[in-house]
Amino acid sequence: MSALLEAKEVTKIYAKAQRPSLNKVSFSVSKSEFIAIMGASGSGKTTLLNVLSTIDIPSSGSITIDGINIKNLTDSGAADFRRDKLGFIFQEYLLLDSLTIFENIAVPLTLQKLPPKKIENMIKSLAETFGIDSQLNKYPNELSGGQRQRASALRAIVKRPSILFADEPTGALDSNSATDLLNTLKESNKALDTTILMVTHDAYAASFADRILIFKDGRIIRELFKQNDDRRTFYESIALEVAKLDTER
Amino acid sequence: MHTLSTAFKNLKNNFSFYALYLLSVAFVVTIFFAFTSFSMNKVMLEKISNDGRVETMCNTISVFLMAFVVFYMSYSNRFFLRRRTKELGIYALLGYRKSTILSLLTTENLLTCTGAFIAGILLGSFFHKGIVFGITKLLDLAVNNSEIPFFNPNAIMKTACFIFTVIIVLALSNSRFLFKTSLMDLVRYEKSAEKKMKFHAVLSVIGFLAVISGYSLALDILRGSESLWITVGFYPVAMPTFALILSGTVLFIASFLPFVVQAGKKNKRKFYTETKIITAPAFIYRIRSNSRTLIMLTLLSAAALTVSSVMALSLYYPIAAVSRMAPSEIECRIETESEITAIKQIVSTYSSDADVTFLQTDIYKVASSGGHLPMEYSIGTSKGDADNEKILREAGFECIPYSAYKALLEAQGRIKVLEQLATLNDNECILMKYQPSSDNNEMGDIYPLLIGNEEILVTVTMVTLDNPISFANSVGTLVISDDLYHTIAEQSVPATKILSINGKSIEDNEALFQALSDYLSGSPYLQGNSHRIHEIFSLSSSTFLLIGFLVVLFFVAAGSILYFNNVSAVTDSKSDYEILWKMGYTDKKIKKIIQKQTAAFFGIPFLFGLADCVFGTLVYKSALMQNILGNSPLLYAPTMAAIMLTFLIYLGYYCITVHTCCKSVLTK
Repeated sequence: MSALLEAKEVTKIYAKAQRPSLNKVSFSVSKSEFIAIMGASGSGKTTLLNVLSTIDIPSSGSITIDGINIKNLTDSGAADFRRDKLGFIFQEYLLLDSLTIFENIAVPLTLQKLPPKKIENMIKSLAETFGIDSQLNKYPNELSGGQRQRASALRAIVKRPSILFADEPTGALDSNSATDLLNTLKESNKALDTTILMVTHDAYAASFADRILIFKDGRIIRELFKQNDDRRTFYESIALEVAKLDTER
Repeated sequence: MHTLSTAFKNLKNNFSFYALYLLSVAFVVTIFFAFTSFSMNKVMLEKISNDGRVETMCNTISVFLMAFVVFYMSYSNRFFLRRRTKELGIYALLGYRKSTILSLLTTENLLTCTGAFIAGILLGSFFHKGIVFGITKLLDLAVNNSEIPFFNPNAIMKTACFIFTVIIVLALSNSRFLFKTSLMDLVRYEKSAEKKMKFHAVLSVIGFLAVISGYSLALDILRGSESLWITVGFYPVAMPTFALILSGTVLFIASFLPFVVQAGKKNKRKFYTETKIITAPAFIYRIRSNSRTLIMLTLLSAAALTVSSVMALSLYYPIAAVSRMAPSEIECRIETESEITAIKQIVSTYSSDADVTFLQTDIYKVASSGGHLPMEYSIGTSKGDADNEKILREAGFECIPYSAYKALLEAQGRIKVLEQLATLNDNECILMKYQPSSDNNEMGDIYPLLIGNEEILVTVTMVTLDNPISFANSVGTLVISDDLYHTIAEQSVPATKILSINGKSIEDNEALFQALSDYLSGSPYLQGNSHRIHEIFSLSSSTFLLIGFLVVLFFVAAGSILYFNNVSAVTDSKSDYEILWKMGYTDKKIKKIIQKQTAAFFGIPFLFGLADCVFGTLVYKSALMQNILGNSPLLYAPTMAAIMLTFLIYLGYYCITVHTCCKSVLTK
């Protein structure tokens, strides 16, 4: 399978930092893959997500997404790239409080200048698929945390991004809401072929992915594959690995 | 940590946050101190106020000024308190008592106000000196500047006491807030979500109709004598107009605007655009909690703009009217030939008389038997229709010859009027109007003039406002041909003899005017163009200056409130802009969104203020000002200037606000 994302020797050194936040990280992501990135706080997971999504600039190395070397993008080129190719889900949901859920989901589509009729059809059909059609006219503060995060996921998925970045998406959710959201992501991955790169410190959330990259001190130190395991078995092996890492600390 | 050092560190660490607050309070103190210094400046007050009028006005305006400063500082204080509620909650969580937090806030206020006080005293002293210098030059006053101290100790004391009182008021208001709010509410205060907006179609329609009806009633004044303002009366129409506009403004902002924006969302082609989808809902969201501030700013903006416009018009109009009230540089009635010699002697004493012209005009009063005569024929003949009721005139046309009219116009330098003059036949005349009248045009009217036993008919071939003689000396002036004038002169004696004195070298010569006034024993028929302008300036300048203090203070406060309000709204939504940026909005697009959001909140008070100012000025000019200048658009120049100035002030604040918002949001 061809690589959708290819990171080569990616290094990020912040001024005044004693050691690099990312230290020559190389990996690739295939189309339709669901990858989880794990590691302790300060291991470089969020830095990696930021440089991959053009939010931050790597100090060295190259990143190619969908054939585009993102290091060469100008500010406006990077904005267009995020608009056309990337989707985001954040731990704090980051829905716009003044917009209804429908309007929130419509924002990335209006940015792509799609006709209003098409925008409405796309949102309605996706909302039905993911079961939030009854909440479309509500405002974020009228919804529970889980419902908000699902709306946030739909906002990221609706424009069919080449790759979806999720930063601790279950961090603020209760276990039921977290499972609902992870199922939504998995469903989107399978049904819509959405490529997902999810940063998480939660072994349960990571078990929904196909592959796990474990970070420590800005490097990938382990790589776990789900292969033919069921989710529970994969979860156990992730938990074991995480426990092993904790004892090595 | 000691309260003082904590407060000092807080201010130091948040300097950029407090800088504008400090600056605006310093500015407010500057205005207040300059005003107080001026109102306590006995040297100046003695020069510009003879009857205690200025002192009374100072006292009245001082009350408004103090109320305004208290309001502004309370608003700013509440704004900063709201922004820091979470921080204060954390202090409380750490074990600070509420009394300690209150003393921390009060110490911070004390430090800020002390800084603003010192800056305000320094700047205010310079400002006061500038005002004194400006008035002295404008009114040509002889003032010994050394008698006016740079720092007026009494003004410093009054300002210090006032600022201290404000700090106490703020401390009381803060304590009320702190002790009423629970610890949980303090910590979660910022997170409290806005309530869902309820749209009231009926209230929206009422608001819209009230505003439109109010403005239509105001416009009705343009119908002249048929207008309700004339037929029903000024106050019975003014009161409902004011009530309609006031209530309409409230409902328009609180209900109509959000209703229209919400309805506008149904226009999908327009709504689903990258900017509109963010700005329209954000407007509705913000107006929920800000409508009261916005209404208050709109009403204040309307009041300040109308006051400044009316003020500018009240100064400009009488000055523009001087060309009609006193067309010659100096003009007086003469009784004997020896008076002319004496007057010429006085003029030569006070000026180089090379360019001075003396023109004597003999005015003959002629009665008419016509049934349809102009109002000028009988104006001022009975009590109730004359400006100066002590001097009643006899009804009749006051005839002057065509050649004298031309000579006077030439001497007064009114070349354009002269060029447009056509020759007069014996049966023709030019009528000088006192007030312009569109619905009573006298062109073509025929007046039978009673000359001796004869009745001679003259037809009005020109109606003009370009009178060559002041209204003090001639009303109902009729310019007739020289031949007809001689016929009249042969059969009667002149009613009055007028001496008009013109020339560059006697302009702005107050000493000459005073000498002539002394010679003529303060005659009410002595009129002077420059003297009249000087008189208007000296009578009005103090009033305008004092009201000017209020207007300036309002603009500083309104601009700062808009600034704080917008910066606060944008920085509170910083995460929203971050997510937009991550979604693919460029910095340019985000800036455009911020500009539009800010423009809406600056635009509402400005545009409403503008509309109220235009209609208010129109009513004021049409109903309360005597119109002797016609309806030249030039007369609205001061109103335009006031609007332009206000626009520039708002624009300045808008640019600073957008810059600060963008700086806080677009910093990567």
